[in-house]
Amino acid sequence: MTISFAHRHVLEDHIIGFEMKPNAHHLSVSRRPTIVTVLAHAEAEEDVQLALDLLEDVSIRSCGPCEWLAVSQSSSPEALLRLLRAIPGSSAFDQSDGRVLMQISGPDVRRILAKCVGIDLHADVFAVGASGNMLIAHVAGNLARSGPDSFEIIVPRSYAGTVFEELKEMGREFALTAAFG
Amino acid sequence: MASLITCPHCGVRPKEEFSIRGDAVPVRPAPNASDETWNRYVFVRDNPKGVIREYWHHVSGCRRYLVVERDNVSHAVLSVTDATVAGRAGQKEGVR
Repeated sequence: MTISFAHRHVLEDHIIGFEMKPNAHHLSVSRRPTIVTVLAHAEAEEDVQLALDLLEDVSIRSCGPCEWLAVSQSSSPEALLRLLRAIPGSSAFDQSDGRVLMQISGPDVRRILAKCVGIDLHADVFAVGASGNMLIAHVAGNLARSGPDSFEIIVPRSYAGTVFEELKEMGREFALTAAFG
Repeated sequence: MASLITCPHCGVRPKEEFSIRGDAVPVRPAPNASDETWNRYVFVRDNPKGVIREYWHHVSGCRRYLVVERDNVSHAVLSVTDATVAGRAGQKEGVR
């Protein structure tokens, strides 16, 4: 007997009702992003970092020494894994089903995030392209700056509901809307 | 208590991201050391006032163990190093 599995996003129950037009402040949840953890072997950190920077269509998020998250919206986990496993001195593992990717944007996005992130998000300190692991609404996740007024959040799947609800609450004063994107 | 810790990997972070894992001063004795030495290493701790060295685990950041040198009177953080680096430096000095 073959069982076919239907893919269902973990935030499906949180984003219900009729579709609203996105406001200036918008939280968009990626339906099926590809997220892969990359680890560098001992003494191979710099080489792996250089190789990762050369990859196209892949966004690299730093998680700490010798550890990165590779995020892609276009390629499949298999294709990305093949690409990353070709890098000598590295190990790569698929996390796509275990993580949730959200994009939050808007002119006052920093004021929304200031309520649930403990670090300085000023552009001089956390520039576009910067990323790091940190507590986001009391959940250990990864925050990356994708633009002057937009950030990307990666949290473990089981905590995504809490973080999503918290972010919506924080964004209420700016009429934050949320949808799959 | 010090509320901001400058992690060598992540930068300035609030103390809520860390977990304090105890005194970094005791040095693990050799496996065949006397019971008394092991007892001291496992159970006996000083409670100094002033500058102390502790292990801090950056649980919700880079997940590295750090050695934080801080003053428990003035709450000043004097230095933060990765525990691996601190360990190597200790070995060179012949402390460990």
